[in-house]
Amino acid sequence: MVISERFESRVRSEVSEDGEELVIHVTGNFDFNIHRDFQRAYRNANPVPKVFLVDLAATDHLDSAALGMLLLLRDYCVEIGRERQQPTVELMNANAHVAHILTVSNFDRIFSIR
Amino acid sequence: MPAFRILIIESDQQETEALRQLIAKWEYRSSAGCVLPASMLCVADAEAALRAYDEFIPNLLIFGPNAALATSGEAVGQLRQCMGVEPVPILAVQELRGMGADTLSLAACDDILTKPYSPRLVQLKLASIRRFCEFSRSLMAQRDRLRRHHADFLQEQANAREIFGNLGNESCLDDTPAIRYHLSPRAVLNGDLLAATYTPDGKLVLMLGDFAGHGLAAAVGAVPLTSIFYSMIPRGFSFARVAREINRKLYDILPRQMFCCLAMLEYDPRRRHLRLLNAGMPSPCLKRADGALKLLESRHLPLGVLSSDQISSAIVNIRVLPGDRLFLWSDGIHEARNSKGEHFGESRLLALLRQTADTSAALDPDTLVFDRILLAVSAHAAEQHDDLSLVELDLSDPGLRRSGCPELETTGDRKGGRIGDWSINFRLTEIELRESDPLPHLLSVLGQMPGAARFQEDLAIALGELFRNALEHGVLELDSSIKGTDDGFVRYYDLMAERRNRLSDGWVSISLCCREGENGGRLTLVVEDSGQGFPAVRETGSIYAGRGLALLDTVCTEVRFSTGSSRVEATLVWGENRDPRPENGPESQHGTMQTPPVPV
Repeated sequence: MVISERFESRVRSEVSEDGEELVIHVTGNFDFNIHRDFQRAYRNANPVPKVFLVDLAATDHLDSAALGMLLLLRDYCVEIGRERQQPTVELMNANAHVAHILTVSNFDRIFSIR
Repeated sequence: MPAFRILIIESDQQETEALRQLIAKWEYRSSAGCVLPASMLCVADAEAALRAYDEFIPNLLIFGPNAALATSGEAVGQLRQCMGVEPVPILAVQELRGMGADTLSLAACDDILTKPYSPRLVQLKLASIRRFCEFSRSLMAQRDRLRRHHADFLQEQANAREIFGNLGNESCLDDTPAIRYHLSPRAVLNGDLLAATYTPDGKLVLMLGDFAGHGLAAAVGAVPLTSIFYSMIPRGFSFARVAREINRKLYDILPRQMFCCLAMLEYDPRRRHLRLLNAGMPSPCLKRADGALKLLESRHLPLGVLSSDQISSAIVNIRVLPGDRLFLWSDGIHEARNSKGEHFGESRLLALLRQTADTSAALDPDTLVFDRILLAVSAHAAEQHDDLSLVELDLSDPGLRRSGCPELETTGDRKGGRIGDWSINFRLTEIELRESDPLPHLLSVLGQMPGAARFQEDLAIALGELFRNALEHGVLELDSSIKGTDDGFVRYYDLMAERRNRLSDGWVSISLCCREGENGGRLTLVVEDSGQGFPAVRETGSIYAGRGLALLDTVCTEVRFSTGSSRVEATLVWGENRDPRPENGPESQHGTMQTPPVPV
């Protein structure tokens, strides 16, 4: 299954050294094709980190489906917050194009952007 | 699973028998583990084989050694053709000693069995052919399933297209050449939507939206959205209120990852006032007559993301000048890619808009901008890219200046049923004035009064103007002269939103009185507010010196107001007693003015 391998490699996640952040890297097009992998990346995090940090450094383009995935992540955090401290979602390293998309959709109002 | 059918073609009895015995010994074990025998039919030649097809459709065809020599390549081709879509392998028996002789054209066959037979080899070959047949049969079944699914899918798409097409039936998009639009079917099925209609007082409200995600799921949200739009706007709800309702509804019904980017505008062609809410759409572009481009950036989250909203503060107010055009598009245009993977992008789009402005003197190609954009995008896109939505609005086209719903267009001619005698009073306190949008409720109550539907549009205009005047200038003490400049225009509306939010004291009272005589009647509308009343010296920017009065004057027979009082009386008269003004009584003591000459 060559196709799924190609998509899989587009989402990579790692826990920061202090263990408080889960960094999710998205490479290439951040779109619907990676939604399973993106979801797996944050749902599998154990223990739950304090911050989900989405690293967009290698993200070329981001579409509305990606914005939807970010909303799902945000919702997931709210869900966790019912039982313990609610994690936050932060976005970082967006290139100019991606940052523009985030601003146009005013997502900078609901996500903190580093 | 049915038996494996083998058709043997051989003229020589002995050869036929040899083959038959060879095959009869063979037992095939299917992947499911059961043992399946093969069924055989023997015929003498290719013609007999063709005839046999009617009753015996083979899975495998074997030419015996003599038949292999006797049958031509064409005959084999014919047999193959008649076997239908499933591939049927053809074997030919070849004598080892005759190798190289030009027997049955081998190219027409798939494989050979060599003679003398090696039972082991023959059985292996048969087993492999059988596996191949099973494989191709399952492939064929999958293909059929896919075909069916695809046909179902196309049918669903056609149904959906029809539904979405019908959703637009109420729109006024096709009523005027002032609105040009392109909305490709694929864009619709991907969640783009376009809707436009008029408010009861003749303002155009148009929205272009784009649901997040792709495919039908994204498009489904268009249904509640358009139904809210087409039910609320014609009833006179303000477009901010409608946008708020849409946000609330979408938040309630959509899955969390779905939302709707929406650009929604309200244009009052009489006052040349454009209000626009951009929630996550690519910036619409206002192209001024002098060629200047003004981008109207998104100032709000897409709708359906949060349960709360800041819609009022995200609305921008624009004063429209003659020759202004507004362009709106969805991101399908931005995201059209060429073979190198480059997006078409906003800059190319703006360059197109700008470029035509430079050459406009020579060619007047303004009318072509729309087509140029579409052409440029399809030229840019590598693959057939049909995910485009584009709208052009000629804001100074007189075609936009029309009455509301078609069924109300008969208002000029007030014949028909009885209007009745009635009166009705409302008093709105600060709480109502702060938050709500009382006009639609008033209009819907008035709509219930006997005969009132026939002048609903005029009434909506007069009531709208008078209420706005009472609220903005009376209760909120806003000075119209602020609106003199572009900046001021925006500041005025910001100020209004701010003061309205903080309003702690004030009222507006509205009363209507309808009297009908033998051959006509009059409807008197009186609006008063808690404000200071009209100043003795009317500023030139005052609403009653400007378009507001002009507008009132077009729909009312008479408008009366006096300095020092906030009371305004507007009268609509119909029928025979139109000309005489018999009952000037109580009002004249306030120093009533007849409608003054209307400044333009």
